[in-house]
Amino acid sequence: MRALLFCACLASLALVSGAARAEPTSAAERAARRLFDGAPPAIPHDSAVGACVSCHSMAGREIPSMGYAPASPHARTAGIAAVPCKQCHVEKRTDEVFVGSTFRGIEQDLRSGKRANPLAPPVIPHMVFMRENCAACHTGPAARSEIRTSHPERANCRQCHVERVTTGVFAPSRETSAQGR
Amino acid sequence: MKRREFLQSLALAAAGVAAHSPADRAAAEGMRDAAQIDPSDLTWGKAPCRFCGTGCGVEVGTRDGRVAAVRGDRKSPVNRGLLCVKGYHLPGFLYGEDRLTKPMLRLADGSFEAISWDAALDMIAERYAKVLETDGPDAVAMYGSGQWTVHDGYAALKWVKAGMRSNNLEANARLCMASAVMGFMTQFQSDEPMGCYEDFEAGDDFFLWGNNMAEMHPVLFSRILETKRQRGDVRIVDIATRRTPTSDYADLYVEIRPGTDLALANGILQQILAKGWVAESFVRENVVFQRGNEDLEEIGWGCYGAQKDRYTFADSGRDSSIEELGKFLADYTPDKVATLCGIPSAQVETLAEMYGASNRGTVSLWCMGVNQHTRGTWMNNLLNDIHLLTGKIGRPGANPLSLTGQPSACGTVREVGTLSNRLPSDRLVTKDEHRTTAEQIWGLEPGTLPAKPGYHTVDMFRALSRGDIKAIWIQTTNPWVSLPNLNRFERSPGDGRFIVVSDIYPTPTTQVADLVLPSSAWVEREGVFGNTERRTQQWNKLADPPGEAREDAWQIIEVARRMGMGHLFPWGEDEWHEAMYEEYRRFSLGTGKDVASYAQLKETRGMRWPVVDGKETAYRYAAGRDPYVTKSKGVHFYKAKKYGEKAAFWLRPYQPPAEVPDDEFPLWLTTGRVLEHWHTGSMTRRVRQLYQAVPKAYVELNRSDAIDLEVGTGDRVRIVSRRGALEATVEVDGRGKPPRGTVFMPFFDESILVNQLTLDAMDNISKEPDYKKCAVRVERVARG
Ligand code: SF4
Repeated sequence: MRALLFCACLASLALVSGAARAEPTSAAERAARRLFDGAPPAIPHDSAVGACVSCHSMAGREIPSMGYAPASPHARTAGIAAVPCKQCHVEKRTDEVFVGSTFRGIEQDLRSGKRANPLAPPVIPHMVFMRENCAACHTGPAARSEIRTSHPERANCRQCHVERVTTGVFAPSRETSAQGR
Repeated sequence: MKRREFLQSLALAAAGVAAHSPADRAAAEGMRDAAQIDPSDLTWGKAPCRFCGTGCGVEVGTRDGRVAAVRGDRKSPVNRGLLCVKGYHLPGFLYGEDRLTKPMLRLADGSFEAISWDAALDMIAERYAKVLETDGPDAVAMYGSGQWTVHDGYAALKWVKAGMRSNNLEANARLCMASAVMGFMTQFQSDEPMGCYEDFEAGDDFFLWGNNMAEMHPVLFSRILETKRQRGDVRIVDIATRRTPTSDYADLYVEIRPGTDLALANGILQQILAKGWVAESFVRENVVFQRGNEDLEEIGWGCYGAQKDRYTFADSGRDSSIEELGKFLADYTPDKVATLCGIPSAQVETLAEMYGASNRGTVSLWCMGVNQHTRGTWMNNLLNDIHLLTGKIGRPGANPLSLTGQPSACGTVREVGTLSNRLPSDRLVTKDEHRTTAEQIWGLEPGTLPAKPGYHTVDMFRALSRGDIKAIWIQTTNPWVSLPNLNRFERSPGDGRFIVVSDIYPTPTTQVADLVLPSSAWVEREGVFGNTERRTQQWNKLADPPGEAREDAWQIIEVARRMGMGHLFPWGEDEWHEAMYEEYRRFSLGTGKDVASYAQLKETRGMRWPVVDGKETAYRYAAGRDPYVTKSKGVHFYKAKKYGEKAAFWLRPYQPPAEVPDDEFPLWLTTGRVLEHWHTGSMTRRVRQLYQAVPKAYVELNRSDAIDLEVGTGDRVRIVSRRGALEATVEVDGRGKPPRGTVFMPFFDESILVNQLTLDAMDNISKEPDYKKCAVRVERVARG
């Protein structure tokens, strides 16, 4: 809780001094770092600079001369605190490729989530697992404008935003639907 | 205004909302073009990961017959939603621009021409039939893989052994797991571990023997790290010949000289005995002592003198005793072991004390460092011995847990038995009753299966080079990158040998082939894998193979049909996967290795055998857990009939490696993998993110050695062994840090073939090559 409040403060701070900061990564660059949307991004800088979480913390950190190190979206994920970051994130060390690829994966979709009506809170369009620290992407200087929250002060995001886990709709049991008729 | 609408308008006002201003929205919309794939448009199905022997569950998202995404399967008890970087990038390996899509025949001028499947299959059938007729079944061979599905392996087994009546069937698991197989077989008369992944939460002390688990079994290693985080008293010991990312997480890093793990393990046994840490009643009840042939002259290393062409040494055992063990271990006092290993003697005592502590759950983990070893079976024996002597075996958190490298080295090679001496479910071709069972299940004339084992892998390729093998079919593996001492195995087209290679991309192995067949891969076909912890996992076909690519098992069945062996594969064109698996399953039922039914595999995230009455077994040989155990408590090694249903403890000495550094070649060369790349890199290098992380092979040097050579990271050096030479770029203080006097090179790069340097020395029992120890020198290459 305290961390989230801290996050919120940081975000408002960012609004004040926002002009001085680097823009978030461009959409094209963001996509290029991933094999498909949802895959772990490659590390775009020398990865031998230190412990990853000292910069990619719960709230992220401004690094002079490098820009903003975004917060870790996994900072609140249960059971993975001990997992080495480089198990999944590897450094990009060249622009070359071995051979070209015809792969076409899920592409990034930076529109906001679907809503029941124009006033309802949007549902979460992605898996929440591994992304439990909502603030990492939805607040702060690293948040993209399309998905930046207007209300970072509300700490419990999932009170109103729910994860869509199926595209199916409710089908009442035969007994209940018989009663309804 | 109704109350609800009022609240909604309040919310909207509060939202205020930069992100929903018309301009922002338009910008965001622009990023989505008409052809874009929405996650919710995908169809999701389950599969095990294609890469390592961990066997993580993944969910595979497909659209229009193509894989578009994967995610960790949260329902899988192996990985609980997490993957490693190879797993997250799985979809990429299927779509390299140069996927093989048509059968290709080599022409006289060396170029390849596309031919039809019919022509290709007819040609294989004709060539094999001709060799069988003129040279007999010893002159044909098939070489497969621990990345074969159970179906591929079973089809190969039936075609080679029941169809052609040859035992020349091998798989690349000989190069990676054979020593573990022989360790378990010689001691328990049944292959594969008694423990399982739950040991990672139940254990207290984790010993990693020559095993860079953080890179090679990352998801399992992070299970240990999580246990350690939650319970402060967990300890990790890394026993290795080179510092790796794993060492950074270890509580104790023990750096020994190459090959001296044998001495260290004996030193631990010596201390356990001397300090009275033997679990006496356990040993009395469950263990017998054996001693094998230790004559170094006779054993050799499989690569010198007459053994250079054929290595057939066979061990023989005799009864021994704990008293004899006591005398035998006099050579392994902490001081003597310390001198051999190059570590302080106090370290030997510490390790022994940790193993000896009866109140601590101890898990030993090992993989290639122990298995790819000229005394790899001995080393496997010694690790199992430590657990037998301390009674730390067959219960949660206390086990020798051999890790497997390949996704189905266990499920296919070890369980189906695609090796030159094996039949399914621990059966051997040399045992009459085992062949009889196979003849019955396969409907063969009694007494017709051949009893003589075929060539083991290295001898198979030696025989091919000599011309004793005239036809070989290689599937799902890349021996012209992965065999040791590669320069031995050159071949020229038109040399009278017929080499068929089934793969998904062009490789150095397809380059030497006469006929190349395009295979479908992973979820482009239905299949079954079996992982390290005896978990059998099934998946359905989820995507379409490219072009005319077909699955390996289908290719074999079609050739068998053309050779008049169609009766061995009596199933319909389409619905044969379940029927074939259920036939294979008959071999396993009642043996203690009972695999789950196909129907159950389809419904679950895998089942650990033995599966009896639909229930899986986490811990083998454990009373109350393994349904085959008839005792009411403790353990029961019911498979080891030869030893009165007890486990065999083998006395095994230290013997030196086949080649040690000298004045001319003063450095040790050790080889291995990196996290990002799978084996010879033919799949993972085609994934942009993985290639860009580690594009090329390199040579790791110790800083002091680099200073002596006046080179640094990025400089070019020449690495020379008695067998070959190559150039590579230096890396100092990178992710791996070898000690002074050792260099390391990964083997994933087909343009820097480190196996031109390695030696084809082998384990005396398993015939698995030692890729970890040979002598080289490093020379500076003049800066251009
Ligand atoms: S640990 Fe092994 S099985 Fe799991 S995702 Fe990585 S390569 Fe695949």
